[in-house]
Amino acid sequence: MGEPPNGQPYIGVFARAWAKAVAGTSYLPMTHAQLEALLQRLTDLLAKALRAEPLDLRVGHRVAQELVAAHIASAEALGRTVEVIQLRLVRDLDLVADDIEDRMARLLGAVATGYARALRDRTLDEQESIRRAAMTARAEAEQALRASEARFRHQATHDPLTDLPNRTLFAERLAAAVDAGNGRRVGLCFVDLDRFKRINDSFGHQIGDRALVEAARRLRRSVEPHLVARLGGDAFVVLVERSTGTGDVVAVAEAALAALSEPVVVDGHDVTVTASVGIVERRTAGTSPDDLMRAAGSTLNWAKTAGGARWALYDAERDGQEQARQELSAAIPVGLERGEFFLDYQPLTSLHDGSLLGVEALVRWRHPQLGVLRPDSFIGLAEETGLIVPLGGWVLAEACREAVGWASASGRPPYVSVNLAVRQVRRPGLVQEVRALLRRTGLPPDRLQLEITESTMMSSSEEPVRALRALAELGIRIAIDDFGTGYSNLAYLRDLPVTELKVAGEFVRGLRTPEARADERILASLVSLAHALDLTVTAEGVETGGQAERLRAIGCDAGQGWHFGRPAPPDHILARIR
Amino acid sequence: MQRPDWAPETIDVERPSVARMYDYYLGGSHNFAVDRAAAGAMMAAVPQAPLMAQANRAFLRRAVQFLTDAGIRQFLDIGSGIPTVGNVHEIAQRHAPESRVVYVDIDPVAVAHSREILAGDDRTAVVQEDLRNPDRILANPDVRALLDFDQPIAVLVVAVLHFVADDDRPDEVLRTLRSALAPGSYLVLSQASDDGRDETERAEAEEVYRRTDSPLWVRSRAELTGFFDGFELVEPGVVWVPQWRPETPESAEDAEQAVFLGGVGRLGG
Repeated sequence: MGEPPNGQPYIGVFARAWAKAVAGTSYLPMTHAQLEALLQRLTDLLAKALRAEPLDLRVGHRVAQELVAAHIASAEALGRTVEVIQLRLVRDLDLVADDIEDRMARLLGAVATGYARALRDRTLDEQESIRRAAMTARAEAEQALRASEARFRHQATHDPLTDLPNRTLFAERLAAAVDAGNGRRVGLCFVDLDRFKRINDSFGHQIGDRALVEAARRLRRSVEPHLVARLGGDAFVVLVERSTGTGDVVAVAEAALAALSEPVVVDGHDVTVTASVGIVERRTAGTSPDDLMRAAGSTLNWAKTAGGARWALYDAERDGQEQARQELSAAIPVGLERGEFFLDYQPLTSLHDGSLLGVEALVRWRHPQLGVLRPDSFIGLAEETGLIVPLGGWVLAEACREAVGWASASGRPPYVSVNLAVRQVRRPGLVQEVRALLRRTGLPPDRLQLEITESTMMSSSEEPVRALRALAELGIRIAIDDFGTGYSNLAYLRDLPVTELKVAGEFVRGLRTPEARADERILASLVSLAHALDLTVTAEGVETGGQAERLRAIGCDAGQGWHFGRPAPPDHILARIR
Repeated sequence: MQRPDWAPETIDVERPSVARMYDYYLGGSHNFAVDRAAAGAMMAAVPQAPLMAQANRAFLRRAVQFLTDAGIRQFLDIGSGIPTVGNVHEIAQRHAPESRVVYVDIDPVAVAHSREILAGDDRTAVVQEDLRNPDRILANPDVRALLDFDQPIAVLVVAVLHFVADDDRPDEVLRTLRSALAPGSYLVLSQASDDGRDETERAEAEEVYRRTDSPLWVRSRAELTGFFDGFELVEPGVVWVPQWRPETPESAEDAEQAVFLGGVGRLGG
């Protein structure tokens, strides 16, 4: 900045005055000494121009440009510069010439012109640059906004652990695929790792999570380009858009199963798992995402119950049956509440004298839509779901209530035989329940018979045996139902307070044919075995007089079946015993 | 609607920016009509506002010159604003070309502009951050890449602390910055003060800045001195900025007109 090599620069009186005039007109990014040195150099240029012939006005422009370039760039700085040059330059520098006033005016004009031009250019440049900066900043902000929106959207639609699409994104894509219509087909593979809980239980959740991440990675790769989503836990789903048929989706399921079954080692632990896949594939027309998901879920259960490590294909008929069963099972509690169940009774007739020894209570359901249902259509369901406990409890109570009334009609009223399901027998509190029931209804204990199946005794637990003993001690009859079809374990006949064996109908059915000698011998042996143990024997399923005759000949005590009477409402029983 | 915390600020050039107002006070044209209108209102209330800005900028220049002479080669300029004329790296690098400077500002336009000006200069960096988040400034990868915190650093908090409310704990902010610095580091501080000022004038100035994103918090000399806690103030301490090591005795005249108090402190040890 104009500092001569030898020590302090020379600063003339004019340059000093100029520096003082412009100082403070705007921010000057230099020391006062630097300012003075600059202005001294410009003073020299001006002085030289004023002395030279001809007068070079470009010097005026150049001086002005240098001032603006050095940030001495304000209206005030120009005003003061013009003022100080006009007032002092000629005098301070002893400039002498005839036309000095004329030259001075022209040079000052050139300085002002040059300054205005330079200042305008600078202003425009600065405006341009700040506008560009504003645009850049705005673009960056918008980009950042879009990026964070994208990030937010990604977070909202992906599973944080595996980074797979989540349920939300999957639901969107599935809905779009179904809506696409136009005769397209769509497929779903519902994938679930088999017994994955074991990995978590054995190695902890950290290893479990890493195994899931690995499973997700393989799954995604194996079924590309189809969408894979994690629905939660170890459940995934693959969407096959624009399927051309079942084969497409089966191929996807097989690829997924193959990829998942490859060995996986995490931290030295073998965390290899198999998977099950439920496949559904159909036209988009007439279906809905919910239908598809539900169908795939049911189908997955079929694969699971078949042992896992396989795929299962949706079968509408099977699903329909299962769904009907499910609906029926769900209606049981409501049916109980609304009194839709009722009992019929089937006679247990003495083979010695034809008298009515007892009746077996058989439950019916007057279903509002399906009509009267027999127990074989709902007892199995009730047993699966545990609803057998309230239902069985109702049957027992109702049977006792109705049986009490029969005593007034006959000197020897029949006992009532009620089936007890496994769950009922295993439930604590059965003995108290029965005792309270007898007390409440006033039914003598020896007029109640409880029928249990052999499987009831198959448990290793002592509880059922203890309960049955307690019941027997009350005086209640205990019968083994369907004897001869299960394990026919003789050991419990020794240990249990059983009073009667009910022999399954299939042995009796054989008595119709002459070649059924084996059945007859089995029956004869059973009867003599029972009698040796002080048990009575009732044969079930007796349909003809011939069968009844044979059974009597063998020594069987009682019979039950169409030959003796079909199940009938309680008033039929009353009529019969009168 | 409240801006969700994942959404960054948008650019609103319809609101005056204190950085661009400051540029206008300094005679620059890096500003928009809203900035000039606000600066005009400020100058109507406080006619010497441009002189204040100039005095403050001159204080910055002398302070950086002082630091460069003291051997400082690293600068962290927080609240650097629009890089107009006399930027820290220009002053420092003229004397010591190896000097490294990180500019930090909250104003995205100021940051974008700084990036454009400084493009290609690998001894400078520009970071968009808020002085009120000193931890984030200190953790910023660009800051860490350019500055060596094992060596002395000069932290410049010039003409910006009056935009930090008492509730935002300016003392904590400075303490956080201090704790990251090596012995021999410096703190340069200046801010608007109401010491000996006219009450109306201050109220009007505060009113002008209320319309910006950065309301004004003027403070006393005692408060400003307190901000140097942990530093040893170099001569002449906390003074009106023209009085801080003036080049000529006359340039320190009428110093209280500058409204800005400033000082430089050194971290001992």
